[in-house]
Amino acid sequence: MISQIGSLALSISGGLILSNFFFLFYYAIKKDKTFLNVSERGLIAVCFCVILATLCLLNELLISNFNLQYVSQYTSYETPLFFKVTALWAGQAGSLLFWTFIMSIYSLIYIHITLKKMPTLKYSSYIMLSFIFGFFLLLSNFIANPFQPVSSDIIVQNGNGLNPLLQNVTMAIHPPTLYLGFIGTTILFVMALSGLISKSLNFEWIQSIRRWSLIVWTFLSGGIILGGYWAYNELGWGGYWAWDPVENSSLMPWLILTAFIHSSMIQEKRGMLKSWNILLAASTFLLVILGTFITRSGIVSSVHSFTAENLGPLFLAFLSSLILFTGYWFVKRFDTLKSDNKIDSFTSREGGFLYNNLILLLMCFIVLWGTLFPILSEAWNGEKIYVGATYFNQLNVPIGLVLLFLMGIGPLLSWKTTSRSTLLSNFKIPMLMSFFSGVIYSIFFGPFQLYPLVTCMGIAFTITSIMNEFRKSYKKSKSDNKSIPTAIVSMLFNNRHKNGGYIVHIGITLLFVGFIGRAFEVEKEFNLSPGEEIYFASYIFKLNSIKSEARDNHYAFISDMDVIDERNNLLTNLRPEKRIYFYWNPDPEKRQPHSELDIYSTMRKDIYSIFSAYDAEKNQGYFKIMINPLVNWVWVGGIMMVLGSLFAFWPSKRRSYGVV
Amino acid sequence: MNKIYTSLILVFTLIVVWTIYLTNVENDTNSLTVRYYTIEELSTKEASITKVKVGGLIKPDSIIINDIDQLEVSFYVYQGSDSLKVYYYGIRPDLFKDNAEVVVAGAFDDNLIIATELQTKCASRYEGDLKNIEKI
Repeated sequence: MISQIGSLALSISGGLILSNFFFLFYYAIKKDKTFLNVSERGLIAVCFCVILATLCLLNELLISNFNLQYVSQYTSYETPLFFKVTALWAGQAGSLLFWTFIMSIYSLIYIHITLKKMPTLKYSSYIMLSFIFGFFLLLSNFIANPFQPVSSDIIVQNGNGLNPLLQNVTMAIHPPTLYLGFIGTTILFVMALSGLISKSLNFEWIQSIRRWSLIVWTFLSGGIILGGYWAYNELGWGGYWAWDPVENSSLMPWLILTAFIHSSMIQEKRGMLKSWNILLAASTFLLVILGTFITRSGIVSSVHSFTAENLGPLFLAFLSSLILFTGYWFVKRFDTLKSDNKIDSFTSREGGFLYNNLILLLMCFIVLWGTLFPILSEAWNGEKIYVGATYFNQLNVPIGLVLLFLMGIGPLLSWKTTSRSTLLSNFKIPMLMSFFSGVIYSIFFGPFQLYPLVTCMGIAFTITSIMNEFRKSYKKSKSDNKSIPTAIVSMLFNNRHKNGGYIVHIGITLLFVGFIGRAFEVEKEFNLSPGEEIYFASYIFKLNSIKSEARDNHYAFISDMDVIDERNNLLTNLRPEKRIYFYWNPDPEKRQPHSELDIYSTMRKDIYSIFSAYDAEKNQGYFKIMINPLVNWVWVGGIMMVLGSLFAFWPSKRRSYGVV
Repeated sequence: MNKIYTSLILVFTLIVVWTIYLTNVENDTNSLTVRYYTIEELSTKEASITKVKVGGLIKPDSIIINDIDQLEVSFYVYQGSDSLKVYYYGIRPDLFKDNAEVVVAGAFDDNLIIATELQTKCASRYEGDLKNIEKI
């Protein structure tokens, strides 16, 4: 019953979208506001229908209605309640509906808040939103319908169950967070183009789109970091980023969105780079769709593949039509995008933002080129050629280091132009700090590895420069005879945009601290019987025992290993497990082994242990140990990035911006 | 054109050209790229190749694990009627078993792939059809 309601809601929303095009068409001809209002209601109704359909699917997942193909594919009676909810986005059909669901929520906010303030954007926004909704509803209704029943000749007793790798709290929140970021770019696209088409790129527009871009950026950053955290803690290859095509697809919109956030500041302050900003805002969405195309078409092999139905050609057609649309209006309205001002000097704040854009765009190009290279090379001469992590690192690391220094240089530059004497006095202290940290680093670790040395110097430079900015605004707020804590609070809250930005920059600098650690990773694979020990990286690993245990949904071999440090103290006890899911299945093909890691984690280093195999005859375990320095800084940096961004756009009580 | 914009565009173009050049140099020892071969292509090759990437299924009953050191394994990958022997030393992915879809990368010599990378693709159990569902 509930599933029929959901299915019906999906069909109705499809019908409503279709009729919306007629209303918009009539409005275009007759200029009668009624038609525009009807299409607005139509869109709102579509949003509510999609929300209803999603709730229906959620209900079916929770009550385990195995008459639905989707429910039986991704859940079973044994699936814990929490993961029955997350199964909503575990597979193709569900995740597409979930996509439209988030788009509905964003659209409702956009219609009710943003468009109320800027009614000139309505007409073109509704056309684009109807088109985008139309595409996703087409997929959900005809290609990947989550309410598809199982074929009538089978009765399903129990479903498949959710992949054990996905039964993890981080994995439960990573996709929705990332989706909130991905789908938020839809609003940026719609807003950029409708501003362009209706020629209303005024101050209100730029403020509003900047706010939207910060919200989207926060979710996108959070989603990417959570994905890395999950990979590190669950997948067992000891890293958080592998330059996998799907990871790259989330990084590219992030890079361009970051570029937009910076360059739109120049438009806000000085009315420049209008055409450039339109292109950046639109490209974030185009890159998201490109990424979705890569993920869902299977043209590039990746660990994150959805292979059930090939949606590639449809996404490609959708992407092409969006690009043509953007290109057409960009050319048609190009004369309205003239700059109000000219850029004056290389050493100006504007210049700094431009260098930032250059770097981010280059990184995006490198990632895009590397990701599409197998496809391009195959199209070129039939040879499918992959580029490895070496390519991405070799090119992105030096460019990333320039970006690290730029974060410190930016605040030292003034708008319009910076005089030579200001430049010298501003750069003096950060340069000195950078130099000293380089010397100290070389004393401890030797100057032989160039990148860690330069990174270390860059971190010192940037942190000093940002802290100096905080010190200056602190002095200003302290001069009003306030106590120290109130002075700090009022300093932070006085210019939240700026301070939030600096907090984000500190967060990114901390990410770089974590990246240094990658240069010092070591690993070892070995086998041990209980009672035996091995010496590695100045630790002794002593295996005490291997026990086995049957648990609710799997069978586990649990190792018990002591880690003893140089001074013969017991540092920690590691218990990595080897689990067999579906072990009750008589067909060994269908049992699924899974290595559950154990990590001893400190700010200095992680000891990462994997129990990879167990030889019952010899009572011997096979282990892999990795020493990963400074990994925790990546998570700390990630949290700071998200908090800083939240701080920057969170609506303030005193002066309500009100513009979303 | 403003000279700042001109110089930025120049730098951008240079690095883009450099990137494209790096991925296209014809050099076996160039570590940035690796060519993907089908098993059919490789099984007819006589010469040795320093870097290859191959995808296929693991031939049932072909996995031989060394008794003394379980990290050492050899197996056959197949695609249609062609197959190739693979040697690998190291920890194997959890999903490594007969008929699993694998991607291996390494050196090719004398009809043997000495793999340095071994990846398995996600099990069919969670994607696609309903063949694994328990039926009455």
